[in-house]
Amino acid sequence: MNGTHCLICGGIRQDPLTVRTLLLAGTDPGFCKNCRRKLAPIDLDDCCASCGRDLRLIDKSFVSGSVCSDCRNWAKSGRNGLFGRNRSLFTYNEWMKEIITMFKFRGDALLAEGFRTEFRSVYRKLKGSGWENLRDWLKTGERRAAGVKYIIVPIPLSKERLQERGFNQAVLLAELLGEPLTHALVRPGSERKQSKKNRRERLMIRKNPFLFNEEAAGSISGHKVLLIDDIYTTGATLRFAAGALEAAGPQRIDSLTLAHG
Amino acid sequence: MLLPRSDSIHPNFNQDLQRFLFGREYQIDELPFPEDMIRQHVRKGLIALRRGVEAVDDGLFSLLLGSRRWVCRRCGNSDPGLFGSCACGRCRKSCVYCRRCLNMGVVRSCTELATWVGPEPVRQPVTPGGNGGLCEWTGTLSGEQAAAAAELVRCLNEGHSFLIWAVTGSGKTELMFPAIEYALLRGERVVLTTPRTDVVRELFPRMKASFPSVPVSALYAGSEDRIPDAPLVISTTHQLIRFHRCFDRVFIDEVDAFPFHFDPMLEYAVQKAAKEGAPFAYLSATPPPRLKNAYLRGDLKGTKIARRFHGHPLPVPLFCWAGNWKKSVAQGFLPPAMLKWIKGKMEAGIQIFLFVPSVSLLRELTELLQREALDHVAGVHAEDPDRHVKVTLFREGRIRILVTTTILERGVTVPAVEAAVFGADDPVFDERALVQIAGRVGRSPEYPAGDVVFFHNGRTLEMVRARRHIEQMNEEGGF
Ligand SMILES: [Zn+2]
Ligand SMILES: [Zn+2]
Ligand SMILES: [Zn+2]
Ligand SMILES: [Zn+2]
Repeated sequence: MNGTHCLICGGIRQDPLTVRTLLLAGTDPGFCKNCRRKLAPIDLDDCCASCGRDLRLIDKSFVSGSVCSDCRNWAKSGRNGLFGRNRSLFTYNEWMKEIITMFKFRGDALLAEGFRTEFRSVYRKLKGSGWENLRDWLKTGERRAAGVKYIIVPIPLSKERLQERGFNQAVLLAELLGEPLTHALVRPGSERKQSKKNRRERLMIRKNPFLFNEEAAGSISGHKVLLIDDIYTTGATLRFAAGALEAAGPQRIDSLTLAHG
Repeated sequence: MLLPRSDSIHPNFNQDLQRFLFGREYQIDELPFPEDMIRQHVRKGLIALRRGVEAVDDGLFSLLLGSRRWVCRRCGNSDPGLFGSCACGRCRKSCVYCRRCLNMGVVRSCTELATWVGPEPVRQPVTPGGNGGLCEWTGTLSGEQAAAAAELVRCLNEGHSFLIWAVTGSGKTELMFPAIEYALLRGERVVLTTPRTDVVRELFPRMKASFPSVPVSALYAGSEDRIPDAPLVISTTHQLIRFHRCFDRVFIDEVDAFPFHFDPMLEYAVQKAAKEGAPFAYLSATPPPRLKNAYLRGDLKGTKIARRFHGHPLPVPLFCWAGNWKKSVAQGFLPPAMLKWIKGKMEAGIQIFLFVPSVSLLRELTELLQREALDHVAGVHAEDPDRHVKVTLFREGRIRILVTTTILERGVTVPAVEAAVFGADDPVFDERALVQIAGRVGRSPEYPAGDVVFFHNGRTLEMVRARRHIEQMNEEGGF
C-alpha cells in the first residue's frame, strides 16, 4: 500500500519531506493536510477527567473539578462500577461523522490506518509514564498492577451485524495498537441499530447487551482492561461492557475511542 | 414452488429473476430474490458467479515481488493503491476490497457477483408507426448527413464499429436516428451513452420526441425516468457500471469528453455493458488520438463531416497577445487588448463566453470585469450550485458575459454568442478543448459567424494545432 495519496480525498499528501520519509520506500497510508485540518483533536490536558470530552467546547458552568456534568450524573447513578475513564482522539464533528460513515457503513476499512499514529500516542499516555506508575506504586504498594499493561478488548458486534457489515470497526481500531487483542465479550441477539435510537432510548435500555466470554476469564482477572470502540456517545455502551467484565475480576476498566460526541 | 407462472413455456427458471438479472451484474445479497433460489439457478447453469475481486496472475512478477496484484471485476480497477484489506467478518480471512467503486457498496474478494447466462428474455416487439418506422423526427438530413447515416447503418449491421467525426454544429445526433431505428425494429437493445450528465439531460427529451412509441430510459444520478428493460437507454457512462453484456449496439456521444478519456473505469463500464462483439458507434468533433489514429490507419471504419448543417464554415480563431495575463490579473487590471475587444462587443450588443484556465482566476476575472462597470457578468464553474440557473439566464440574454472554466466547452448552445479564451497558452487548453470552445460560435443559421479570440502570452503548439484543425475541416468542407 502506497501512502503518497490521501486515504479520504485521493489527493497528494505533501507530507513534509523528512529523512525518514525519503528513505522509506513507501510511507504509511494517511490523510492530506486539508482533510486533517477539518478534524477536531481533543487536548488530553483539557478534557473531562472522566469521559474525555473536550472541555473547551462546553460551558464552564457544566464543569466542576475538570469533570463534566454528564459524568457527575453517571457517578451519582451508581452505574460506573469498575469503569474508570474514557479517552477519545477527536470530537465527533460533521467531518468525523462523514469519515465514520465512509469507514463503518461504506466499508472503507483502510481509513482506520490514517489514525494509527494518534491512536498509539493516546494509548501510550493512557498507560501512563514511568513517573505516574511509580507514584501509583508508592501510593498503593501494588507494583504489578499499576500501569504495566492493558488487556485490550474491542467492543464486539452481534453475528448479524458482523455479517452485514463485513468487519468490526472496533477490532480494526484496536489492531492499530499493535498489541494482542482479547475477545472477552460477546454480543448475542440482534440489537436495534444504535444510531437509530434517540438519546433517551439509549439511556433507558436496562438490559446489558454483552456477555462475558468465559474462555477469557484467566486473562482478565487482576488486570487493567482497555475497551476499544469507535464513538463514545452517552457512555452507556462502554459501561455495559465494563459491567459484563466485572465478574472476571479486572483491576480497573478504561476505554479508548476514536471520537467523542 | 419455484415457478409460479408460464410453466408450459419455460419450465426451467423464474422469469422475474431472468428479467432482473439479464444484462446486469449484482452482488448476490443485493438481489431482491432469496439466496437459495439464486443457487438453484446457478446449479442449472442459468446464472454465472464470479468473485468481486480476483488476483491477477502475472506469473513471475508477482512471485518476485511476493505480493499479488488484484483486479475488481465490477469496475475494472487494478491500481494497487486502490485496494484495501481487513479481517473480514464474512469469510473469516483477510479479505481484499476495491476502494474505487465503494460508493456502490463494497466489493470484496469473497463477494460473489451474479449475472444471467441463461436464455435472453423475450421482449414485446415495439410497434412501428404509420410510416412503418419508429422515428418520427420531422427534420431532414443534408445530403452529406444522409450519406453518413446510411454508411453507419450498413457498418453496424456488418458488426463493425464506426466513427462519426463531425464538426461542432453538424447535427450529429439526428444522424444516429436511422441506425437506432433499424436496431430497435430488429428487437435489439440500444444504449446511447455520454460521459456528461448535462448531455444526457439534453438528449433524453429529444430521443423521446423522436421515438414516441419506444420506451426510453434515462440513467444519470438522480434521474426519475428509469424504465426497467427499456429497449432504448440514454445513460451517463458512469451508470453503465451495473450492466453486463446487455446491449446489442452502443452509441457513444462526445466520446472524448472529460472524464471519459481520463477514466479507465468508464471505459471498462462501456465495454462490460456491451454484448460480446457488439458494434460501437463513436461520435465526436475531436476524437481522442486512439480512435483518430485507428480511423486514419483504416482499422476503424468511419466518416468525416466537415460542414455544419447550415452550410457555413467554422469560425477560425484569432490569436491576440495579451502579455503576462496572470500578472495583470494579480495586479488588478485587465489586459488592454482584451478589454477593448470586450467593450466593442458589449456596445454591439453581442454576448460573450469567456473561458479561463482555473476557478481561482475565474473569480478574480469576474470581479475585475464587474469593476469595469460591465453589467451582467457572471462566473460559473463545475461545483457552482447555481450553474444551471446562470446558464439559463445567459441563454435568455439576461447575463451578457459568462466567465467559465472548460466545463461549458460543449453542450451549451446559445445562438448569437462569441467566444474568447483568457490565457489560451495555459496547459489546460489542449487542441481538443480549444476546438470545442471555438465550436460554441456561429451555430445557428441566423448567426453563422462570429469572433473566437485566443488571448495569450506566447502561442502554444496546442493553439496552433487547434487553428490548423479548424482550417483543415473548413478546407475539407469545400470552403
Ligand atoms: Zn485528503
Ligand atoms: Zn465527562
Ligand atoms: Zn471496483
Ligand atoms: Zn471476505
